[in-house]
Amino acid sequence: MNLSNLRIGQKAIVLEPEEGVSVKLFEMGCLPGEEIELLFVAPFRDPMCFRVQGTQISMRRSLAKRIPITRPHGS
Amino acid sequence: MEAKQSLRIAMVGRPNTGKSTLFNQLTGMNQKVSNYPGVTMERTSGLTKLAPGQLAEIIDLPGIYSLHPSSADEAVVMDSLLNVHEEGEVDVVIGVADGTNLKTCLFVFSQVLDLGIPAVLVITMADDMAHRGLVLDHAALGESLGCEVLIVNARTGEGMEAIQPAIIRAKASPHAPFFQPGGIHLQWLAALQEGDEYIYKTWLRSLSQPAHEAKIRESGRGPKRLRADEAIQRYRQVNRWLGSFLTSYPEQDRRFSTKVDRLLVHPLWGSVVLFGLLFVIFQALFYGSEGPMVAIDEMMTSLSQSINAKLPGGFFTHMITHGLMPGITGVLMFVPQIAMLFGFIALLEESGYMSRVVFMMDRFMRPFGLSGKSVVPMISGTACAIPAILSTRNMEDGRERWLAIAVTPFITCSARIPVYALIIGLVIPDMALMGINLRGLVLFGLYFLGFAAALAAAALLNRWKRSQVKVKVPDFLLEMPEYRWPQPRNVGMMIWRQTSSFVKEAGKIIVAISVILWFAASFGPDHAADFTQDRVSVPIEESYIGIAGQFIEPVMRPLGYDWKISVAILSSFVAREVFVGTMATLYSVGDEGIESIHATLASQINPETGEAFFSLPMGISLLLFYAFAMQCMSTLVVVARESRSWTLALTQFVLMSLFAYVVAWAAFVALS
Repeated sequence: MNLSNLRIGQKAIVLEPEEGVSVKLFEMGCLPGEEIELLFVAPFRDPMCFRVQGTQISMRRSLAKRIPITRPHGS
Repeated sequence: MEAKQSLRIAMVGRPNTGKSTLFNQLTGMNQKVSNYPGVTMERTSGLTKLAPGQLAEIIDLPGIYSLHPSSADEAVVMDSLLNVHEEGEVDVVIGVADGTNLKTCLFVFSQVLDLGIPAVLVITMADDMAHRGLVLDHAALGESLGCEVLIVNARTGEGMEAIQPAIIRAKASPHAPFFQPGGIHLQWLAALQEGDEYIYKTWLRSLSQPAHEAKIRESGRGPKRLRADEAIQRYRQVNRWLGSFLTSYPEQDRRFSTKVDRLLVHPLWGSVVLFGLLFVIFQALFYGSEGPMVAIDEMMTSLSQSINAKLPGGFFTHMITHGLMPGITGVLMFVPQIAMLFGFIALLEESGYMSRVVFMMDRFMRPFGLSGKSVVPMISGTACAIPAILSTRNMEDGRERWLAIAVTPFITCSARIPVYALIIGLVIPDMALMGINLRGLVLFGLYFLGFAAALAAAALLNRWKRSQVKVKVPDFLLEMPEYRWPQPRNVGMMIWRQTSSFVKEAGKIIVAISVILWFAASFGPDHAADFTQDRVSVPIEESYIGIAGQFIEPVMRPLGYDWKISVAILSSFVAREVFVGTMATLYSVGDEGIESIHATLASQINPETGEAFFSLPMGISLLLFYAFAMQCMSTLVVVARESRSWTLALTQFVLMSLFAYVVAWAAFVALS
């Protein structure tokens, strides 16, 4: 499972991202162990906007695919 | 801290934390725009009164997510705090944090504290915190941080009076650093330490230097991994603080913003809203500024007429009424548009909607080698290419930034509007086509052309650039701030700053050129300046400008222009908006009477055909020439500075102007 598999409103826990993923992601608050929720998506489901640690961060699908997550919960 | 003559204070915080609202509150109108040392990047600084007789300079640094820089404007923050360019140490930092998003704000602030710079933390959005049921024990947080923590409402000014005394009292945090560098040769790091500086300063400086990368890797972890470790360690600390000092009632945390987003970024409705909004803005710009433009033109004309009537005739009166006044009119006519455009852009940014536009457009910009982030310079470019090019500084991707700088001058900037408005008014009939005003439609078409040219150029350049160098594209990451009501004060300040800087900078040039043109049009080699002369009566063909114009006319003839228009085009290579004033000067010099610019031009007759001089083919050809030609010295200079290469600026100048020439020629030939 990775971030791109989440449905809108679903939550999961972020796991250790793949090698080479931007450090800015960490600095913006998207860290392993944190709960993340998919809020909404742009046309063609790309990019996607998530909420993590109270911040809304959007990223492209290609990056979302490189961030593994636990089994999603919630609606 | 000792009372110094003037403290240097820097404001540091994440974007969208109410930093500029706070800055405007603290400095009022005492602001100035200057460049950062070392880089030609604009920054705003201002003066604030700390205590009676004690002024301090506040520098508004760009918003950052971390002190480790990811883009050009973030690098400026690190350089300022580390005093890389030796412009003076920052004495106190005002950390700005959004009370509804404390976690990520405290992350950045803990980095600042570890530098050992005395600091005060100002938490904004007190009202939003109350709404959400967030209660912060700020005294206890301050105790843990080792600095004063204030909660204010920057919009109403509530709690602001405590900031100045807190700045005077600020001292370096007495606590041990919140972050301990690990996973690296600490002895190596200690050897790099300068004097008794905090180790975090050394760490920050070393990690960003490519020269150290090999040495850092010897420890088994690269600089990026070390930065990530730092982020993890710091967030752990921040979460401990908030766990103890912040009480929240999640059930009240129903976000207005998320509900609004369900509509505004909806795949279908979101696009409808976006394009509807852009359409309304452009229509409002055209119709809203038409009235003031005509009013200014007429007001200045009657002013000229009364000056002409009151002053004795002769050299100076003629210079004022036919040289100076048309130039000033050309500048003033332009003010309503530029003010309105900057107002709209300020509203989009202040409300948080601009980020949604970036989000929605990202997918569509990719085929052109751009990302959604390029939408910001493209929208700002409709006001002026200069702020648009400056707005590319927050792009992490150097290749995209280069592309955006290269193509932004194609966007229809407000300097083109007076030219378009004048020519459309002369050659396009005032009639409706399926209920839409034809003139408005032509203007909309010109805007569309600008965007299309910019995107097409980006696609071509991207292909070329990719064949040259292979670079890894940095990940697209964008914070989506919450929607907020725009602060009238911030919008007003933005309009005032930009418009007054236009009037001062561009105005000087335009007025000077108008007077020079008047002189060159009023005198000639065989007609020396005679100050005692009653009236100026050199046949314009024999004036300096007439001779120069006839010299270049053969080049411009294929496009349908006479030598007067050729001169106007040449002079607009300094700045497009010069066109209107130049036309007014050139066509009015021969006349004794003074009429409005539009009336003067509309009454010109083509000696060959006997019809109105400004014909449809010539008008369209002129419109297209102005749409594509690179006619703005200031933009060229900014392109060269920001891209650090004159090659790009000069190539842009030559290619765009050649393209404009060819298109204008083709249109003229096809239509006549």
